Amino acid sequence: MNLRVVGANLCVKLLSVYREKTAMFFTIAFPIILILVFGTIFMSQDNVGFHLCVQDLDQTKSSVDSVKALELNGKFKITRVDPAVDATQYVRDNKVDLVLVIPEGLEKALTRRKSSKDFKASVTITYVYDPSSSSVSTKMDILNGVLAGINQEISGNPPFIRSAEKSILTRKYRFIEYFIPGIIAMSVMTLSLFGTVNLNTELRQKGIIRKLSTTPITRTDWILSNILYQFIIAIISTTAMLLVSYAVFNVNLHLDAWLLAFILLDVFAFVGIGMFLTRFVQEAQSAAAAANAISFPMMFLSGSFFPIELMPGFLQKIAKMLPLYYVNEGLRAAMVFEDNLAALKDAAVIGVFAAVVFILGVMATKWEESQ
Amino acid sequence: MTNQAEHVIEVEHLTKRYGGLLAVDGISFSVRKGEVFAFLGPNGAGKTTTVEIIETIRTPTSGNVRLLGMDVTKKKHDIVPRIGVLPQGFSSFDRITVRETLQYYSRLFCHGKTDIDGLIDLVNLKDKTREQYQNLSGGLKQRLGIAIALVNDPEVVFLDEPTTGLDPAARREVWEVLQGLKNKGKTVFLTTHYMEEAEFLADMVAIISKGKIIATDSPAKLIEKNTNYLLLTLQSVDEKAFEIIRKMGFEPVLNDHKEIKTKVEHTDDVQKILGAITDAGVLYLGLDVRKPNLEEVFLKLTGEALHDGQVVGKGAE
Repeated sequence: MNLRVVGANLCVKLLSVYREKTAMFFTIAFPIILILVFGTIFMSQDNVGFHLCVQDLDQTKSSVDSVKALELNGKFKITRVDPAVDATQYVRDNKVDLVLVIPEGLEKALTRRKSSKDFKASVTITYVYDPSSSSVSTKMDILNGVLAGINQEISGNPPFIRSAEKSILTRKYRFIEYFIPGIIAMSVMTLSLFGTVNLNTELRQKGIIRKLSTTPITRTDWILSNILYQFIIAIISTTAMLLVSYAVFNVNLHLDAWLLAFILLDVFAFVGIGMFLTRFVQEAQSAAAAANAISFPMMFLSGSFFPIELMPGFLQKIAKMLPLYYVNEGLRAAMVFEDNLAALKDAAVIGVFAAVVFILGVMATKWEESQ
Repeated sequence: MTNQAEHVIEVEHLTKRYGGLLAVDGISFSVRKGEVFAFLGPNGAGKTTTVEIIETIRTPTSGNVRLLGMDVTKKKHDIVPRIGVLPQGFSSFDRITVRETLQYYSRLFCHGKTDIDGLIDLVNLKDKTREQYQNLSGGLKQRLGIAIALVNDPEVVFLDEPTTGLDPAARREVWEVLQGLKNKGKTVFLTTHYMEEAEFLADMVAIISKGKIIATDSPAKLIEKNTNYLLLTLQSVDEKAFEIIRKMGFEPVLNDHKEIKTKVEHTDDVQKILGAITDAGVLYLGLDVRKPNLEEVFLKLTGEALHDGQVVGKGAE
């Protein structure tokens, strides 16, 4: 290995990409756009609030207080429906999925129950709903919980079973914080894979590889400079993603050496796959198609965008066979959960994979043209 | 077969097969130190395969190839720093300037003392040093490629089709650069399908056709050995002249440009033909009498004419 040669190669690659402004822009902009789009979507999910229409037919202090109590619960944003309209028609006309109807006589029944201890006094709250809505059952479950609480309170007895929450995490994290390590893992994968495939097929088709094969540069020098180049690009891209995440979403992520370690392992693994592909798929277009065929399923199956627990069991098993899954999990363990042991386990898996693929990639790289 | 001190390239019974295709068929030749050796032949004749085997890029199927006294299949690492190569269809990094490109290749050879300015002067790229490769014309790119082939001050320079695809003016400019190399005493191995290029630049020519070398010698000797006639061309004449010449026992050929070409043995024959045509009252606008060139030699040896690297069928042999 000759460091002077590695440096010369690295310099030429960095100068080329620096001067190709469009490529540089998209290298940095694509993951940032993803973060901005998904971050905005997930931010609204963190502050989840259901829209709830309430028709108060009682119009008494008790009924008004009940509606306020629902509002103060924090889960609902209340719209008051005119008592004069037909609730069913209202659901249809206004394309809402649920109207909660408080019947006339709520206050009277409540007074009878509380003052006269008339346990037969009760009211029925009606949910007028559209069953085709996907979120309506969740809303009704939450409402049932709220109503159960009110019933229990009116009964005057303290609850027998209480519940308490205890998170395994030292702090509560937001979805965007779960999402960003996944996007970093995915971006480094695509940059390394496509970067290697595009660069090598382009240089081969232009005959530059053939020219290089008549110079003293060795396979090791070439591959090492490629790795360093992809690592620098990955660091630039990750820095840009983190800056945007902190500035726009005020994320709280733990940044330490694990981040660099996982980026490096991610680069090694996918540069290795890229080298392997370029050796066996000669044409630039076919190589790019093969890289797509590898990266797209990996992107969606390995939990970059959402937890793999949302997928059916057999897909979860497949996910656990994908290298990107371990980069995602490792980065989350390090950046979100601050779990060094879990990060170490994931690093070991992706490390072994990266070593094997990289050695195969090196073996597959040939200067001489096979013809 | 050869004296190693004198010969820098020695090829013996070299064969290269690609599957069922026999690209190079048992060829032997040698190149002396300091000479410009042209490997001449049509596209697909086996030129590039041969030169790439000598350059250590490809491995031969059989035969021996020694470069600078070393076996090319075993001593790649010792050979590469001592040779310079302009590969066929040379290209470089689009967004890297002329000077940066030369510095880059110089670093690959770890040749700290490369005279970059001297190389830039040699290939006449002084006012293009800050130009990116992608903005250079075809001729300038080739000249840069030649300069790159010289960054390590090589003992042998391989130029694989250095002027293919260039217009005549750009080709002449590259020839001037190659003349400069010749004057510096470099050993140059040139592959080309341009006869005039080989004739203009080469000390020695090997003609290769269908994987076999069919003749090797200096351009002058090749012409002398294979042709013993003069070539008379008459321009813008009517077909009566053609008949007159044919009846005189010569074998004229009329081409699309209304030119009659015929071979004659002596200058006396030229006078006889012109006299007969003038007596018949036939006018002609131009006249050319010249010795044959490598084009005619190739035609004689292969029975095929060559145009822009392609064999274009049987000639008027």
